Amino acid sequence: MIGFLLRRLGWTVLILIGVSVLVFLLMQLVPGDPVRTMLGMAATGERVEEVRHQLGLDRSLPIQYLDYVAGVLHGELGQSLVLSQPVSSILFPKLLNTVILSAGSLLICLLVGIPLGVLAGARQYSLFDRGSMFLSLAGASVPVYWAALVIVSIFALQLGWFPTSGMYDTRNPGGLADVLHHLVLPAAAAAVVPTAVIARMARGTMVEALQGDHVRMLRASGVPERSVIWRHALRGIMPPVVNIVGLQVGYLLGGIIFVEVVFNWPGLGGQLYTSITAGDMPLIQSGVLFIALVFVLVNLITDVSVALLDPRTRKAA
Amino acid sequence: MVLSRSCSRRTSAFRRSGARALAVVFALSVLAACGGPGNAASGDAGPPRSGGTLAIGIESEVDILDPQRAGGWVSWRVNRQIFEPLVDEDLSVPSGQAAVPPLRPGLAESWEISPDGKVYTFHIRPNVKFHDGTPLDAAAVEFNVRRMWDKSFEFYDAKAAGQTTFVWQHLESVTTPDRMTVRFTMTQAFEPFLRLLPQGGSGSTGIISPTAVRTYGNDNVAEHPVGTGPFKFVDRVRGQRITLERNDDYWGDKPYLDRVVFRPLPDPSARVAALRANEVDMIAVPPPDSVESLQQAGFQISEGAPPHVWYLSFNMADPTLGNKLVRQAINLAIDRQGLATNLLRDTVKPAYDVQAPANAAYVENTAAYGYDPDKAKQLLAQAGYPDGFETTMMTSVDGSGQIIPVPMAEYIQQDLAKVGIRIKLDTTEWISYLTKWAQGTPSGVGWAQQSWGMTTPYWLYIATSSTLQAPNGPNVGRYSNPELDKVMAQAMAATSEADAAGLWKQANRIVTDDAAIAPIVNDKAPYVLSPKVRDFVSASEEWYDLNRVWLS
Repeated sequence: MIGFLLRRLGWTVLILIGVSVLVFLLMQLVPGDPVRTMLGMAATGERVEEVRHQLGLDRSLPIQYLDYVAGVLHGELGQSLVLSQPVSSILFPKLLNTVILSAGSLLICLLVGIPLGVLAGARQYSLFDRGSMFLSLAGASVPVYWAALVIVSIFALQLGWFPTSGMYDTRNPGGLADVLHHLVLPAAAAAVVPTAVIARMARGTMVEALQGDHVRMLRASGVPERSVIWRHALRGIMPPVVNIVGLQVGYLLGGIIFVEVVFNWPGLGGQLYTSITAGDMPLIQSGVLFIALVFVLVNLITDVSVALLDPRTRKAA
Repeated sequence: MVLSRSCSRRTSAFRRSGARALAVVFALSVLAACGGPGNAASGDAGPPRSGGTLAIGIESEVDILDPQRAGGWVSWRVNRQIFEPLVDEDLSVPSGQAAVPPLRPGLAESWEISPDGKVYTFHIRPNVKFHDGTPLDAAAVEFNVRRMWDKSFEFYDAKAAGQTTFVWQHLESVTTPDRMTVRFTMTQAFEPFLRLLPQGGSGSTGIISPTAVRTYGNDNVAEHPVGTGPFKFVDRVRGQRITLERNDDYWGDKPYLDRVVFRPLPDPSARVAALRANEVDMIAVPPPDSVESLQQAGFQISEGAPPHVWYLSFNMADPTLGNKLVRQAINLAIDRQGLATNLLRDTVKPAYDVQAPANAAYVENTAAYGYDPDKAKQLLAQAGYPDGFETTMMTSVDGSGQIIPVPMAEYIQQDLAKVGIRIKLDTTEWISYLTKWAQGTPSGVGWAQQSWGMTTPYWLYIATSSTLQAPNGPNVGRYSNPELDKVMAQAMAATSEADAAGLWKQANRIVTDDAAIAPIVNDKAPYVLSPKVRDFVSASEEWYDLNRVWLS
């Protein structure tokens, strides 16, 4: 198990280094001068050069990259070109907000997706099975952006149960209750597709598990059906379900950028968008690195959980 | 709650589907057809009342709360409530009553200009305090000017200097003859100076507390903005809100509002939804399609005539576009009124001069910019292109003040095709476009599009002076006309605003006769307000004041 962990951690570090080089190079390939954007249309060539020099943007690319890496290794993510503030002080709060939204969403996925799939699988071809699978097919096919707009129009505008967007009340920003009230709709919107996929996956593996010899054995021994499903069969389907949940977290993070835009949730997605439109390289680099880090960590956690649940997979890694 | 009403007009909204994906249209039309705070309140709401929080949904995140460094109108709309320049514009007069906002004393109570136009003496308003309690005096003003202009000054800031280059370009020295007097000496007479002081799209001359700059430094002062304006900074949570509160010690008309919250809502449908759900009291840049339904739902629309021109700069080095007749033909071949009405639903006005109407030198010229495709064809034939020609138009896909650049460029493409001019569109996202644009129109490109303008006619100098040809300046078509340069030099050196305006009008005519620029439309900068927002005024600027606004 320890060897497995070390190998996976080694890969994680290599992937992050690769991502940092890639992002740095991509930013250089993108046309557009951040200083020009900052100073606007009236800026003269001379003034643009002056500010470029001040920000160190007139140095050679390898020097700029090494400087950036040296900073990262010292825990310094650098300064935003436009905002003149430390990147960490801007990105950490945003990352936290994205994690809150993702966690809320994941909770919905797990609490709805797995039980739905398990019950549908246990009652194969019943009305419940057909109904829930039809809904999940629809859910899995819905564009996130559209789902978000429909959810806003029904639950915020027509019913007025929840606010349309944001993380806090505009006029009287409050505490935890205020955040939770604002969290429901975006978390639900982001959860639509992954919940549907998880439910379908859980149903499929459940159907398969219930046809297994050990289930027949349990049933023959008179073990109550409820216990067969929730104690024995469920345990067997956990590794593939955890795997798909891990994959769906990746999907969730991708979809959350759209959800953040529609619901104006102040997360990493919106910040990256703003930074990209301003060409604020230090912010973009670190933002993308954060997302890559979260992705890689989620994969790591998924692999470790599967390895814990199913010893056979440990050797494969 | 008002918003939980059933939504009866949903079906009618379906008909406006158009070419978009059905799914998005459905969702948007549900948004558009539901909610709203009922009918507009009747006109009489009694005398203004103090109190309340005004929440404004703004179209993008504000960059920084350092008025001298900040770029873009969105930032200045916030900074302007906190910071003030020496000379200001009176934005309490709507565009309908004053095409150009009158100048009024700001932090300078009065001023004198020497007869040769080179020396400006400003008398600083007494008993004004910064929000941190420190007094405003001549030394504070000098400190701010040196921050933007004097490279040897301890707090010189290259970004602030880069933004405000044109304001201070002729400044030779700044002195403080006494505690409340500041004197600027210029190397030459520079008539646009007073009008440039209250400008704010690209940097501004808003005065910051020197104590705050010393305490927090040039970079961090934006996190602790301290000015003299009607509102004080309370807090900022990036991506969520900027909160300001009334400055009870304000020297001028004290605001009625207790607080103002600016909330960035970059997604247009989220902006509309937040307004309908009463989460904000007003929004900027409503999607053109939503305006009518919002109005029907009882919201107020406030429009002005800011100094905005959506224009094309012709590439003078291009063998075809170098021909004046061709450029004149293009100007006559574009149906500006059609573009404004059919495509943009009258949220803009057709532009009939190189300067916007919010400018002392505006001369309406429908002969040059009206729609006359027959004459355009004649001119093309005369220029040796009876069958037209092919070229490329550069524009962005988004960006501040650009409205909807691609559909607008396509509209122009269709109009020009009717006279035989076949254009390819070269579109780029905003940040890359700005850099590309500033490099000047490359060979093979007939013209580049941009949106800009100022209430000072001096804008024409920035856009067309031969000394500011790209890449050194914003004259991206590299237009050069010695006669124009001469007239503009005289206008800048004029010693009265009236003389200057006359000369600038002459300059406009030269640019029009030469067809160096094709102005297309002027934006109306619409805002949508809840019926309880009172006395909001759209003056002829891209920004607004809030100290007369109140909530009923």
